[in-house]
Amino acid sequence: MSEIIAALDKVSYKYPRSSDFVLKNIDLTIRKGEFFGVIGPTGAGKTTLCLTLNGIVPQFYGGRFFGHVHVAGLDTLDHPISLMASHVGAVFDDPETQLIATSVENEIAFALENLLVSREEIMARIPRALAAVRLEGTEKKHPAELSGGQKQRLAIAAALAVQPDLLVLDEPTSQLDPVGAQEVFATVRELNKELGMTIVMASHAAEEMAEYSDRVALLSHGELAALGGPDEIYSQIERLLQNDLRPPEVASTFYLIQKKGGPIPKIPVWMGEGVETLKKVQKTCEITPPRENWTARTYGGEPLLSLKDLKHVYPDGTEALHGVSLEIREGEYVLIIGQNGAGKSTLVKHFLNLLKPTSGSVKVGGVETSQMTVSDLARRIGYVAQNPDNQIFNATVGEEVAFALKGLGYAAEEVESRTAESLAAMGLSEAREMHPLSLPKGDRARVVIAAILAMKPEIIIFDEPTTGQDYRGAKYILEISRQLHQMGKTVIVITHHLYLMPEYAERVLVMGKGTLLMDAPIREAYHAVKLLQSTFLMPPQAVLLTQELEKLKGQPLPKLLTPDELAGCFRCNHSGRIP
Amino acid sequence: MSMLKFQTVERDSFFTRLDFRPKLVMMAVITIVAFVWESPLLQVAMASLLIVAALVVGVKFSYIRLVITVMIPFYILLLLTHGFFNIDQVKALTGKSELTPMFVFPENWWLIGGGMMSWEGFLYGINAIFKTLSLVLVIPLGVFTTDVDTMIVGMVRARIPYKIAFIFSATLRFFPVLFQEIGMIIEAQRLRGLAMEKMNPIQRVRVYAKVAVPLILGAMVKSQQLEVVLQSKAFSGSPVRTYLHESEMRTVDYLLMLFFVLFFIAATVLYFVFRIGAFGGPI
Repeated sequence: MSEIIAALDKVSYKYPRSSDFVLKNIDLTIRKGEFFGVIGPTGAGKTTLCLTLNGIVPQFYGGRFFGHVHVAGLDTLDHPISLMASHVGAVFDDPETQLIATSVENEIAFALENLLVSREEIMARIPRALAAVRLEGTEKKHPAELSGGQKQRLAIAAALAVQPDLLVLDEPTSQLDPVGAQEVFATVRELNKELGMTIVMASHAAEEMAEYSDRVALLSHGELAALGGPDEIYSQIERLLQNDLRPPEVASTFYLIQKKGGPIPKIPVWMGEGVETLKKVQKTCEITPPRENWTARTYGGEPLLSLKDLKHVYPDGTEALHGVSLEIREGEYVLIIGQNGAGKSTLVKHFLNLLKPTSGSVKVGGVETSQMTVSDLARRIGYVAQNPDNQIFNATVGEEVAFALKGLGYAAEEVESRTAESLAAMGLSEAREMHPLSLPKGDRARVVIAAILAMKPEIIIFDEPTTGQDYRGAKYILEISRQLHQMGKTVIVITHHLYLMPEYAERVLVMGKGTLLMDAPIREAYHAVKLLQSTFLMPPQAVLLTQELEKLKGQPLPKLLTPDELAGCFRCNHSGRIP
Repeated sequence: MSMLKFQTVERDSFFTRLDFRPKLVMMAVITIVAFVWESPLLQVAMASLLIVAALVVGVKFSYIRLVITVMIPFYILLLLTHGFFNIDQVKALTGKSELTPMFVFPENWWLIGGGMMSWEGFLYGINAIFKTLSLVLVIPLGVFTTDVDTMIVGMVRARIPYKIAFIFSATLRFFPVLFQEIGMIIEAQRLRGLAMEKMNPIQRVRVYAKVAVPLILGAMVKSQQLEVVLQSKAFSGSPVRTYLHESEMRTVDYLLMLFFVLFFIAATVLYFVFRIGAFGGPI
């Protein structure tokens, strides 16, 4: 058995102002060279656990701490954080906050300077650290000039330069687009496999964690609910769902097939294993395509939103949109996907009149947006920002909802009736006198949506509503989008999380390099795997497995999107023979 | 990205290669002298020299124009205040019992009838305007022409506590982020349907004031995250640390420091002995 690099011995911890313990009696060991995953819903104690490893908890935060944490043989209670920092490198979720220097080389040098490493040694370590994360040649750049993925790789390089025994990463990909997330996972995996770096990573990225981790700890309400290999943890579908965690789709799919009697002794948790299992299972089960009619719903009438040959060139000469044309009709639910820089935000800013077309036209309800003010448009198009807190300014929920209505000069009775109606629609009537910021994050989003609803817009745009959210948070807000859609609103959602959307979206716009690469019903778009991968978008595993199954069977299948749909095609009996 | 370029000039010049310490001395001397001088002529000369110097070293004209544009209302106020109302001080400084009228409002004008703008008060206003302009322009000249890293090391070598030097650099690092955040919040407000274009200036100010709520909230969250990040990077604020960048004084740096020290001595002697630079003095 390899050497133990970190050990938590009956660790319990309570923050100074928290009412309950955030960690409860945790016993864990982390071995040298291991990729150790930490999973759990928001509030389970993942970040706190990570912070115990470098002594920030409890030394910096205070509070009540029981038990011991040893890293590289040092008790974190007996050694200052500055010393622990030379053994534990830390990378956090927000690329903006964790880079503190004004150049890449200074970012790497900062911790080394604090640790009194000589100038010559610092100069020797900088290129090595940058090479490890493939950021050579960026030494003099300002961190703000880097992409999201590059910023996180820089944070990793800065942690590596200290030559730590352990690299702790807390949700390092939660704020990134798929390209950035892939860059970070590839880098961390390489460090682990090729340099033998011990990794502790907390993440909601189920597919990647299942594939890369050696062991996984599942935290729930501060307790260690389960500990084991990823195949063991990620195959416990019910347990994951009970803990508001999203299982990898491949695991969900084979779990459902197993429940239908499929001969699956061990549920695969990552794609490679899944394909192998599929090869075996499809031989013993009958594949019957479901009978449901999945023809895409069509919407008639005049377009509510239309773009014709829309081009936009930014003042610095960047051509962000190259002649985009599309029409969105009343009642549609449209998903816009693409990498950062693909043109999604530029496109949406034209809908809202925050940007003017360089050429071409944008019409809302048949009227050129250039003829309308931003506030005119806001009455027709509601916009929910990625961070709803940016849209909250008032002291009570009721005032927040009434705020814009008063500004627009509606009569007091009209303001009151619209406010009451919107609050009721979002289930916030009871919270009317509460401070919006005292509500949970999901409810704060509801407050913003209620305020938007009060304007009675026809279209509601959700901009990256699932970024930085755990599975429960993401589903919560998407359920609101469904509710609005059912109310007859036209809904537009921008997200990178394709796997969350099959239950909601009907139509997909795939953006890439300022062009509309595809405009198709969701089933068609998600099955355009090569196109999606060409723009670094990863289709859900259920889609990939469906296509794999088609190849194996040599027969066309409907364009399935979810584990339920795919598992629904399998007819097996418990003997493992075709019924 | 535009905010990033606020911090440093793009042009490499004699001035950008200087150590930060002579620049600190320059900023201190110019600030003190600008405060002491009351001569409109010398203040105009110094501010003009600073504008020329800033342009030569690469500070963008658009930045200087922005500074002046933002300051114009304040300058008008200074001119009116000193021209119309600063009578006693100006009389005392010039030793005159009566001031020279530039113009007088007719007696029958409501409220302002009989008001007189004096020539001496006007000149004192000019002095005040260019004094503030010098104070404002010396900062980009010293700060924008210095790489932040060199600035920090220079400040530490000049015995400024490391914590203060770090706060200074962190401010420069996070200013772009803060401005981006302000932009996002204002955009979010407009998208809530606020008809800014139909609001009067007071209503607009009230709406903009509300930006403070999410901004402060966001800044508090970020500052706590930043503290954790700093801790994890072994930051303790201790001046006992090494530096990647070096700060070495060359002959030219010493010469510049000497020049400004001599300039300060000369300006002080000339002011107190010969009243050169004083209001109503020979120059």
